[in-house]
Amino acid sequence: MHIKQSSTVVLALGIGLFLAACGNTSSDAAGSSSAEGGFDISQTIHVVSREDGSGTRGAFTEITKILEKDAEGNEIDDTYLEAAIQNSTDGVMTSIIGDDTSIGYISLGSLNDKIKAVKIKGVIPTAETIKDGSYAIARPFNLVYKEKLSKEAQDFSDFMFSQQGQEIVLKEGYVEANDKAPVYTAPNNLDGKISIVGSTSVTSVMEVLAEEYRGLNPDVTIDITSNGSSAGIAAAIDGTADIGMASRELKEDEKTSLTVSVLAMDGIAVIVNKENTTDDLSIEQVKNIFTGKWTKWEELTD
Amino acid sequence: MKNKKTTKRKVKKIDRFMEGVFLLSALLSVLAIVLIAVFIFAGGIPFIAKYGLSHFLLGEKWTPSNNPALFGILPMIIGSVSVTVGAIGIGVPIGVMTAVFMAEYCTPNLYKILKPSVNLMAAIPSIVYGFFALQLIVPFMRRLFGGTGMNSLTVMLLLGIMILPTIIGMSEAAIRAVPKSYYNGSLALGATHERSVMRVSLPAAKSGILSSIVLGIGRAIGETMAVVLVAGNQPRIPESLTQGVRTLTTNIVLEMSYATGQHREALIATAVVLFGFILLINGVFLFIKRKEAIR
Repeated sequence: MHIKQSSTVVLALGIGLFLAACGNTSSDAAGSSSAEGGFDISQTIHVVSREDGSGTRGAFTEITKILEKDAEGNEIDDTYLEAAIQNSTDGVMTSIIGDDTSIGYISLGSLNDKIKAVKIKGVIPTAETIKDGSYAIARPFNLVYKEKLSKEAQDFSDFMFSQQGQEIVLKEGYVEANDKAPVYTAPNNLDGKISIVGSTSVTSVMEVLAEEYRGLNPDVTIDITSNGSSAGIAAAIDGTADIGMASRELKEDEKTSLTVSVLAMDGIAVIVNKENTTDDLSIEQVKNIFTGKWTKWEELTD
Repeated sequence: MKNKKTTKRKVKKIDRFMEGVFLLSALLSVLAIVLIAVFIFAGGIPFIAKYGLSHFLLGEKWTPSNNPALFGILPMIIGSVSVTVGAIGIGVPIGVMTAVFMAEYCTPNLYKILKPSVNLMAAIPSIVYGFFALQLIVPFMRRLFGGTGMNSLTVMLLLGIMILPTIIGMSEAAIRAVPKSYYNGSLALGATHERSVMRVSLPAAKSGILSSIVLGIGRAIGETMAVVLVAGNQPRIPESLTQGVRTLTTNIVLEMSYATGQHREALIATAVVLFGFILLINGVFLFIKRKEAIR
């Protein structure tokens, strides 16, 4: 009985010590990062990327030439094998916030002040710089459809490309395709169903557009399915969707049977921790970091 | 006399009816498993046949974005197996010792706290474990080993904790199922409490404890949502414990949402391999159970 009791006490003490130790380490961590002040450029760069198949990764690797064709016409995605893979924008941001030597990329629309977006060749990623073409890492949000739209779909399309529609696009953090769009007026008694399928990146802005449109045309139902650019294009080609959404450029064989219009432009921001002193990179430097050619911040050269 | 007969007949009718209802319920679960198997195999086998089993299982490169794409899942198989072995290494000693304590040493008052805690551990959603690991284990590993903190060791530690309720629950039940006379006999022969527990009760509960370990393996290899947050998910063979790792399950959940065509088929084929692993583990479990029953 005595042994039992004393062992219980020892166990309890052990647990207490363990917890105390945990408390110490976390306060140490907070202390050291603020005490250092400057950013240590001898650290290894922690690259964070998105998963294969993600539209953001597809656009990013294509624009930065991380995905390249070799002599035989094979496409090679040369993303650094040691890059941590996150399958959501939030996942990437959480990694960057929690680790001061990491670097990642996200949609411009998701940028916030918890992270730092680096300039690309001196250009800050903003709506203006993307529209005037000076910010290099940008992609179109494409809408695709077969030759003829149904009456409802045509009207919704008119709305999206109207002044009101493009204002929504701007408000959602993207760059409008047309800043001199005509004003939309809702027709009377329009009813019917529109199905829209495709890119998850486009879906976020499409949902706001649909919401606004429903307010003007209460009898029109809009179904939005969010399953990726390729699925959206496929659905538009085989006619299961009225409109397909794609956050990448269309391939040649996809273009032949579809009409394409640009709803908005989306920039991809290269993001680092706020402690990081790096604030300007060229596309070539971005490529060297994300392919693992450079693994330390001090290696950054022109 | 006549009245009694009719009620008897009525009871028999209800009996029959309920038997049918129960049978239907039982068949439903069998049907579900058959449907799952058919769906997975129909989706995955054609791809494996086309791509080649050895290329698929032993390929070291997973590059779906390339053209032509490569779908080798050896890194993921090694990842799954290694983190499972690690999780067992961490979870089994702690779990079995906890079970011994709960069955043989624990005071009733402490048991009232311990038992519900263990049960609660089993009920916590895995994504919550994932956030716990992301907030606590990952920064700890980063301080200890550098790097991102998302590595095999992190996953092993996390899974080691996650399999505890499975191992503790079943092992405790197994130890409790050992007839009290074994223990009393050992005491009567002059053995101490510790010796009786460790040398008599525990060996007698061996097959139950083994079953708990096998189920723990099944849980560890199948865990997804918690692992995906803290594994790093690099699709290459890890060379050390402090490197990131991608498991079979996380490979599927990471890429399924956007995958199309061949890429999608390759992910379903990954599920076939995972399914194979689970069948194997359950086979072992049944084997141990049957051996126990024969004894």
